[in-house]
Amino acid sequence: MALAAERPAARLGPRQAQLLSQLLDHLVWLILAVILLVCSATIENFFQLGIFLNILQHATFVGLISIGLAFCIIAGHMDLSVESVMAFAAMIAAWLAATRGSASGHELAPWLTLLIVLAFGAATGLFNAFLVIRLQINAFIVTLATYISIRGFGLVLTGGRSMYGLPDSFRGVATTSLLGVPLLVVILIIAYVIFHVLLTHTRFGRHVTLIGGNPVAPFRAGIRVERVLYAVFILSGVLAAAAGWLLAARTNGATPNLGLGMLFEAFAAVVIGGVSLRGGVGRLSGVFAGVLLLSSIDTAINVMGLDASYMQVIRGGLMLLAVLLDSVKTTLRRRLL
Amino acid sequence: MVDLTRRAWLLAAGIGLLAGAGPLAAQEQGTIYYMIPTLLDEFQTESQKAIEQVFGELGYKVVSLDAQNEANKQLNQLEDVIALKPDAIIMNAVDFDSIVPGIEKARAAGIKVLNYDRQIRSTPFELTSVAGTVEIGQIAAGETMRLLKERHGALKGKVLQVMGDPGDNYSLDIQKGFDERMAADAPDVEIIAKAALQWEASNAGDIVEDQLLVNDDIDLIFCHAAHLTVPIVAILEGKGKKPGDIMLMASNGAPVGLDNIRKGWQQVEVEQPLYAQIYGLAMFAPKILKGEALTPGSYDVVGLKSELTMEEWGPNLRIPGAAITKDNVDDKRFWGNLTPPDQKAQVVE
Repeated sequence: MALAAERPAARLGPRQAQLLSQLLDHLVWLILAVILLVCSATIENFFQLGIFLNILQHATFVGLISIGLAFCIIAGHMDLSVESVMAFAAMIAAWLAATRGSASGHELAPWLTLLIVLAFGAATGLFNAFLVIRLQINAFIVTLATYISIRGFGLVLTGGRSMYGLPDSFRGVATTSLLGVPLLVVILIIAYVIFHVLLTHTRFGRHVTLIGGNPVAPFRAGIRVERVLYAVFILSGVLAAAAGWLLAARTNGATPNLGLGMLFEAFAAVVIGGVSLRGGVGRLSGVFAGVLLLSSIDTAINVMGLDASYMQVIRGGLMLLAVLLDSVKTTLRRRLL
Repeated sequence: MVDLTRRAWLLAAGIGLLAGAGPLAAQEQGTIYYMIPTLLDEFQTESQKAIEQVFGELGYKVVSLDAQNEANKQLNQLEDVIALKPDAIIMNAVDFDSIVPGIEKARAAGIKVLNYDRQIRSTPFELTSVAGTVEIGQIAAGETMRLLKERHGALKGKVLQVMGDPGDNYSLDIQKGFDERMAADAPDVEIIAKAALQWEASNAGDIVEDQLLVNDDIDLIFCHAAHLTVPIVAILEGKGKKPGDIMLMASNGAPVGLDNIRKGWQQVEVEQPLYAQIYGLAMFAPKILKGEALTPGSYDVVGLKSELTMEEWGPNLRIPGAAITKDNVDDKRFWGNLTPPDQKAQVVE
């Protein structure tokens, strides 16, 4: 240990340093590529366009809630309610628009249901933000409570029954393809591009990162910290609600346990993607890779003869690997760059 | 100061809500606790409704507790209930093994324990009323063979079995019954089994979507619960399949399965006789609570001929499950039609 501390850092030249920096920043993409290569080489019928599109399509919902979660974590907070908000949004949409099961029978137009669920998502984000920012209650506790209670509201709304039979105009978003690429995939990619730009190329995004790193300094610099945090929580709620609306379209309705377990997938994706749980560090490109990595593993397990129980073991192992890699990255940067 | 005032108001509002819940008035025949494994399932929500109604009509106060699919939570709930000394407990277990110590403790405390729906053979009960999860799998296997024979003229083909959560005994038992019978009677049929984690419907959809890419010759999809078919039908439709191109079957008899049959997407739904299982418990409950012995034999349980036998785990009322097809889908005895029998349980004297 003493030797390591005393060893002089081996500094690299500017080009090598830039190359290594890029490699470290995008390590998760490298892991994704390796996993896809291994799966393609070892699993029969895995290497085909349809499978890769499935990986992307199945990643849509976890992918969208992961954006909101990543924003919250980068801003130094937490939003555990995203899964419940997504599920309840799907239930609201199905309750208002579906024709069968325990639906309301209103058969509202899809665009109207979208507006309603987005408003619900924004209201939930606002509620979380109010409790966290104004009442100074820990975000973990607040959003955990919201997570639990909204699941309960879902049960009240559905009576524990499925709602299904959405009109084709609603389901179109999940059944349409553009040049062979499912519209859901296009939406996912566009969302990541937009929010990546928002996080890295706008004042708001820079403020989110600064606040997550140290909320006191931005406050002293005149940044309206509370306003930024309100926006982050509302953004997270709206994105989760949008994901729920799309999920309803894909599943032609909603079941009471819809989306169960997606919070942990989103968390795993965010951590694997290199977002620091301490706040102030993280990029959405890494989160996107994390989401795709998990989706690839799920798909691989779906098409190979592996017992589903191993899915959790592999996911847990990957998270641990990601954290270890993060520490290796930090050490390498300190020594070589 | 302002923050403190707000918090105080929130706290007061919360206490007010809790106080509003209030105790229910006790009824003359005694108190029964119903232990629910989860409420995220139509079978369970309808079971709760029916149990409260049927036992309520007999004069019992029924209190239901939801374990949210956590075996440990259910064991904790059971221990709390034992401390309250109710007259009886109706057990619908999350986990068939881990609940056994709690059941033994309850019986040792003199509380009558009735077992509903999920067969537990490792400890005695005052009465067990089940169709049998293994038997549900066997009925499903019989229907699978019939459908494959109709399609191919022989017992061959490929079946995708979409299970529930791989940690759930209920799903594992159905798989056991299904696989054993298929292996014995139709060894040439290829079965691919995949688990939808946490019984989550979109997981089932993803499995089917992936499998259709690597196994485009799947004849039949068998889901361990009807709600899993919701995204599957959407995906089949999205892939341009017509009803019946890929046959679909599910078990538990939920409304969505019956609806799929009416629309032609699903060929068979294996019914768990929800109402009959509950009436079966209710008709013997007064006798059990009086401490009287039950007499084995055939009993008519809301129109279904059921057998009461004495087993190692106590009196066992076996109520036959049924295959629902387009020919009998509108039969009101199927719980998926959500028309509970409009009669009071006929108590066995």
